[in-house]
Amino acid sequence: MGQFVQYLINGVISGGILALIALGIVSVFKATKVVNFAHGHLILFGAYFYFTFAVMLPEAAFMPDWVRSWEPEWLVAYRADAPSFSPKAAIASWISDVPRILLGLAGALAANALLALLIERLVMRPLLGQSTFAMILSTVGLIWVLEGSAGLIWTAEAEQVPSLGPNFPIRFELFGANLFLFSGSLFNLLIALALFAALMLVLRYTRSGVAIRATAEDQSTAYAMGINVPRVFSSAWLIASTTGAVAGAILATRTGLSPAIGLFGLSVLAVVLMGGLDSFAGVLLASMLIGVLQAMTQWKLGGEYAEIVPYVAVLIVILIRPHGFLGQEEIERI
Amino acid sequence: MLSVTHASLAFGGIRALDDVSFTAETGHITAIIGPNGAGKTSLFNIISGFYQPQSGSIHFDGTDITGMRADKRAAMGMARTFQNIALFRGMTVLDNIKLGGHTRLRSGFWSSGFYYGAARREEAALRADIERDVIDFLELDHIRKAPVAALPYGLQKRVELARALAMRPKVLLLDEPVAGMNREETEDMARFILDIQDRWETTILLVEHDMGMVMDISNKVIVLNFGRKIADGTPDVVQRQPDVIEAYLGTSEDREVTV
Amino acid sequence: MITGHYKTRYTADEGIWSTWPKQAGLVAALVALAVLPLIANNYVLLLAGQIAIFIIAVVGLNVLVGYTGLMSLGHGAFFAIGAYTTVAVHHEFPNTFPLITLLISIAVAAAFGVLFGLPSLRVKGLYLAVATLSANFIVLFLIRQEWLAEWTGGVSGTETPNAVLFGYELRSQRAQYYFIVPIMLIMLLFAQNLFRTRFGRALIAIRDKDYSAEILGISLYSHKLKSFAISAAYCGAAGCLWAYFFPAILPEDFGLNMSITLVVCLVAGGMGRTLGPVFGTVLILLVPEILKIVFANVTDGDANAQMLFSPMRDIAFGVLIIGFLIFEPMGLVSIWDRFWRFVDRWPFSK
Repeated sequence: MGQFVQYLINGVISGGILALIALGIVSVFKATKVVNFAHGHLILFGAYFYFTFAVMLPEAAFMPDWVRSWEPEWLVAYRADAPSFSPKAAIASWISDVPRILLGLAGALAANALLALLIERLVMRPLLGQSTFAMILSTVGLIWVLEGSAGLIWTAEAEQVPSLGPNFPIRFELFGANLFLFSGSLFNLLIALALFAALMLVLRYTRSGVAIRATAEDQSTAYAMGINVPRVFSSAWLIASTTGAVAGAILATRTGLSPAIGLFGLSVLAVVLMGGLDSFAGVLLASMLIGVLQAMTQWKLGGEYAEIVPYVAVLIVILIRPHGFLGQEEIERI
Repeated sequence: MLSVTHASLAFGGIRALDDVSFTAETGHITAIIGPNGAGKTSLFNIISGFYQPQSGSIHFDGTDITGMRADKRAAMGMARTFQNIALFRGMTVLDNIKLGGHTRLRSGFWSSGFYYGAARREEAALRADIERDVIDFLELDHIRKAPVAALPYGLQKRVELARALAMRPKVLLLDEPVAGMNREETEDMARFILDIQDRWETTILLVEHDMGMVMDISNKVIVLNFGRKIADGTPDVVQRQPDVIEAYLGTSEDREVTV
Repeated sequence: MITGHYKTRYTADEGIWSTWPKQAGLVAALVALAVLPLIANNYVLLLAGQIAIFIIAVVGLNVLVGYTGLMSLGHGAFFAIGAYTTVAVHHEFPNTFPLITLLISIAVAAAFGVLFGLPSLRVKGLYLAVATLSANFIVLFLIRQEWLAEWTGGVSGTETPNAVLFGYELRSQRAQYYFIVPIMLIMLLFAQNLFRTRFGRALIAIRDKDYSAEILGISLYSHKLKSFAISAAYCGAAGCLWAYFFPAILPEDFGLNMSITLVVCLVAGGMGRTLGPVFGTVLILLVPEILKIVFANVTDGDANAQMLFSPMRDIAFGVLIIGFLIFEPMGLVSIWDRFWRFVDRWPFSK
């Protein structure tokens, strides 16, 4: 039982991150009807940008020392009596990292946003009105362009990046078993869920949210109603790239920097289809389910099996419910 | 030849068809009319097998076809055209019409792939057959190699009829064959429909808004309103029936009706 | 106005090599293919063999994607199934005649094709793309498994047999070439014939408008599954030849990268056309080679710069696929069509 709860917790944490990634795919689909196969590679860029602005840039000679490591006197005093590996020490070392974490996040968000605007403008816009097939393939083409570019730009070996939140082990007892998790993971989960919730609220209650939903319903009618449809497209890509940048930063702290992050995005695509492409709630549900299923598979069968869980699951779901848990079925009129 | 018995169809709360029954006699032209949304196309869709009626049955050529898939009904000799033309837009006129011959050919996969023996003979026979009975008949010879997408609307409608005809159907369902056509094109189409009836004794079922044409060529007219059948009889009888007149004049639609 | 080419019989009108310039072109192409090994070196023959094998697979993909309109991002799996079937057959019966192995590979791949095709009865487009992609991951996962390792070699891959025709072992690139290219030509012709007769026309009809095809008596269920089976069979054949052609195979050879490469070849060449796969594959497989030569010249063989080659190749592929989608969505074949229209109308063409 204790083991079960332990893996359940692990599953929920990775489910939250899946949901954050899925968010980007769903927003772009809702607004533009394009399913972005390259979203994982957008995240890969987010991760590398975070690395660039949080690790490489602070170490440059022209940067002031406090960016690299912020050591105000009160922090030194606070740290002085903290035993190593204690929560207190972890918080202290996190505080001294805060400047570069913020720099990293700001840089990653801005750079990824710019990248997404470029993609939207140069690749997706010219293909407007083309078949689903062309849309899918163009994002597949993007996979290669992005992967190759990343390989050209960041040749450095994978390095440690600072965790977004203070990272110390938390131990507690439940059902008579010793459980264990990192505060950093908990922090990541909270960020993911907060972003997810914030976006849902924006879509529901703001003017631009309504514009996005209207465009999702019917592009040409939205146009006729005076909605700036191209701007809606751009904002959807902005949402995807910025949430993707945060997801990238989180993944970089969890699994390290590697091109495998891009491939991870494809498994999220499977999760999105399971939940239903146009349903945020369905996707959240599917993310949590897959997160937990993967954790359980890892526990019982090993990590290799866990990797193909989303792919097996999506095949089963498609055969039973073609449009996912909560997706809307398209009705063909004859 | 074709009979629908007590058929009902509902989408959620909307009753598209409510206990509709009628019979189309062999070799006759039966027209189905009614205001927009009366359920005419729904009726066609349950006859050709796209929708399953929730109750009632459909008999075709002595067989109960109620639960049968659309392609099986086609193989039995049922052809149809669509209100919004459903041609294969990427193909030429000739290929579209050849597809109409699908159920009549038997050649298998291997002989097709090697273009040898049965496949080769059959393809040649089909081509000759189509040229004689369909392309000449419907006066399409000048456009047989033209891609369908490039043709004007009236011709596309005619190609769709040609494709249905290539099936050598026992029953032909025509969904608004002259919608959007001018007077001359309408007369051409009416002439083709009468010729088909005359030449092959095909049973024809027709949905149409052009009252002039319906009353001219039909043997029998069925009137639907809000999914119910309100009249059934020869054109003369039907156009004198008071509830038919009411159904038409009572619509909010600004359509000129010559009843 | 197109001039010339008047036919007096319908059978003549149905022919494929209907004009004399086309017939001349065909003869020239066949002669060129026949004499190539006599003048080319091993590097060129290695490339030619690889291109011929890929053409078979892309023709197969074309059956499904180009003609039936069903999306697949998982055809690498069928390639793998063909290759590993060949290895397994030779593992059990070392002296199997290569054409028998080819037929077995085709049959096994076709069976898997039907299995993979099941989702296509429920979903289309994007959903199918993800379903096939998932199937690809699952097949490779199975190949890597320990309990199949006796036949597949597991994670570390396996050596592959050479084809032995009537006691003569096909070792050299040249001998292999003469084995592979005729098979490719036959399979190409088979596909061409398929799509000018009843069965192929039915698939095209499903692509263009599925409900309209149904109304003409075409069963969507059986045709979609058959299309998957044929498509997989072609890839299975390619896999078999691949196993004979190369000394060893790895599960990773048949992953997402291969599946996407196949699709890229198809898009670049032109979907739903017989010669599309040929043009596309030649172009796409030559790009890295040309890049390699250019790179070697520019960098003078500098080892550091060589590291940049693989990302550069990826970018080139990506740019090519997006470029084709935006600027020449019908692929190279449409350029080819323009050329023949020019020839047909000459000397009145401009």
